[in-house]
Amino acid sequence: MKYYTSVNNQEYEIEIHHERELVVNGERYEIDFQKLPDAGLASLLLRNRSVEAVIEERDGFWEVLIHGQLYTVQVQDERAYRLAQARGTAVADGAGDVHAPMPGIIIAVSVKVGDHVKQGDKVAILESMKMENELRAPRDGVVTHVNVHPGSSVEKNAVIVVIESQS
Amino acid sequence: MKREDGLLTRRFNKLLIANRGEIAMRILRACHELGIKTVAVFSDADRMAPHVRYAHEAYHIGPSPARESYLVVEKILDVAKKSGAEAIHPGYGFLAERAHFAQACVDNGIVFVGPPARAIHVMGDKQEARQTVRAAGVPIVPGTEPGLNDEEMIAAAAQMGFPVLVKAVAGGGGKGMRPVHRAEDLPDAIAAARREAMAAFGDDVVYLEKMITEARHIEIQLLADSHGNVIYLGERECSLQRRHQKLIEEAPSFVVDADLRRRMGEVAVAAARAVNYVNAGTIEFLLDKDKNFYFLEMNTRLQVEHPVTELVTGIDIVQEMLRIARGRKLRFSQEDVKIKGWAIECRINAEDPYNNYLPSTGVITTSRLPSGPGVRVDTGVFPGYEITPYYDSMISKLICYGETRGEAVLRMRRALEEYRIMGVKTNIPFHQHMVESHRFLTGQFDTSFVETRFSMDDSIGETHELEAAILATLAAHRQGQQASQIVARGARDTSNWKYLSRWERLRR
Repeated sequence: MKYYTSVNNQEYEIEIHHERELVVNGERYEIDFQKLPDAGLASLLLRNRSVEAVIEERDGFWEVLIHGQLYTVQVQDERAYRLAQARGTAVADGAGDVHAPMPGIIIAVSVKVGDHVKQGDKVAILESMKMENELRAPRDGVVTHVNVHPGSSVEKNAVIVVIESQS
Repeated sequence: MKREDGLLTRRFNKLLIANRGEIAMRILRACHELGIKTVAVFSDADRMAPHVRYAHEAYHIGPSPARESYLVVEKILDVAKKSGAEAIHPGYGFLAERAHFAQACVDNGIVFVGPPARAIHVMGDKQEARQTVRAAGVPIVPGTEPGLNDEEMIAAAAQMGFPVLVKAVAGGGGKGMRPVHRAEDLPDAIAAARREAMAAFGDDVVYLEKMITEARHIEIQLLADSHGNVIYLGERECSLQRRHQKLIEEAPSFVVDADLRRRMGEVAVAAARAVNYVNAGTIEFLLDKDKNFYFLEMNTRLQVEHPVTELVTGIDIVQEMLRIARGRKLRFSQEDVKIKGWAIECRINAEDPYNNYLPSTGVITTSRLPSGPGVRVDTGVFPGYEITPYYDSMISKLICYGETRGEAVLRMRRALEEYRIMGVKTNIPFHQHMVESHRFLTGQFDTSFVETRFSMDDSIGETHELEAAILATLAAHRQGQQASQIVARGARDTSNWKYLSRWERLRR
């Protein structure tokens, strides 16, 4: 089976021949992949290089924890990959949404609809866990929706502000 | 023995822990080592927490929000009476520094494992604390009186010169505190500090303090018994902070030599004596680049970072607290206290260092702790535990010991790598960046370092994109194969569940 896998803006074409061998971007690797009885724990011997990882599927992505670093990996099989190519954009937009990372209360909103913002600009302050947390713009663009006002209480993952890029 | 200032010391055999999480576990362990029975209390969220499961008795005290459970004095005292607990250890946070709680314990004939109510009261009021310790000859940072209105503070700041700090009289842990570098930012900062202080403490009185730049946060751990003996257990270096939340602490400090340690220690002892302090406490100092030090505040409780002092002195601070509360004399004199080796603590928090350190909530799915020589982990979480917005975001304290600072740092690097925690984002990558940074390795940092000059962008060591891609693909491949074989039902003479477990066994 052939897969198209991307992580941190790097793409890999991975072909799995059988359990002990795969080909990554044309290069052949001998592997030994074992899952531990503990949920999520896996051991990989990659040309005898030993890597232990925690692997979990979350919201359609694979989260892989190796040596303290968390990698978010997208894996598509050939069919999903071709479909995505045909649709043009592989990932649905939503990259301009500012989400509440946790439940809390909005203390201040520093943008309004029509404002031009730069990536990293402060858009709102969310109070949660007794701390004021600054929420920042994920990209440059124009504010198209502001769904909260000071005093709003928000659930986790609620969309607070939408920023559309102007390309 | 009962004192006028709200101190009761007496032998006790059963203790209530008015706290949760890792610190409840820490206290429980000290109690069990001394043969003291333990009583836990828990909110709705904490039924399965380890402090409940490991204690001898446990009592439900209400809903998850702390103000309806862990902060309700009457509920705690009720459980103490019901269970026959003769003493209460408050841990840190919650009721630990509420003088009225300490007094209420004593009024009910219960030993409060901490200082006299009067000492908590005086040190808890920042202004009264400053005046009291200044009278005892302790150097303090210049600042304004409290209770000035905004205009008066703005005028005072102009005289004092910027930068200044806006601080809440009732503040602590960085809440209601704002640094201000330019006069035009002061009105907003005062408003924000008042708002935060009102929300956190129900009191919006603030004051200004001159900001000491390039300062280090150095604190002195004290132990005082009820017989008038006070000793210091050396210093902790706590300069690595973000928004006044400590992230990494170590003992000893890179910049404190034996002479400075003695001088800071003696001043700290004088500050404690000024309030007839008893039990464990900490004096926080700012140390400027010319090695002048200024009293910041006294923490009248056990601190989060106490383990680093335990590791370099060999003294179990929580056990000593229990002995002191039982009315015993200190077992050590100042000369007995020797600093040996080096200890570093990293606070592992549920927050995303790659996204402005936003807190992360969710269920911990995997938690495999590092271990081996020189590694200690104090934690209250476990797989299945949910990080909620009700309590603070600390997952654990990872503490490493070495003969030298270098050895401790290398151990920490190894331990961070071994730590497997999944389900929420953690700041482990922050710590990994820190222990690799040149400034950390050479000990050149101050309290502004994390916020102003530290970056998560520099890559550290090798990255593992290829391995991550392969692992995720293999996991997806297996899942896909299992799914496709499960769908083909009917063609098989056995249930899909049986088939799946056979399939998994075949592949072991």
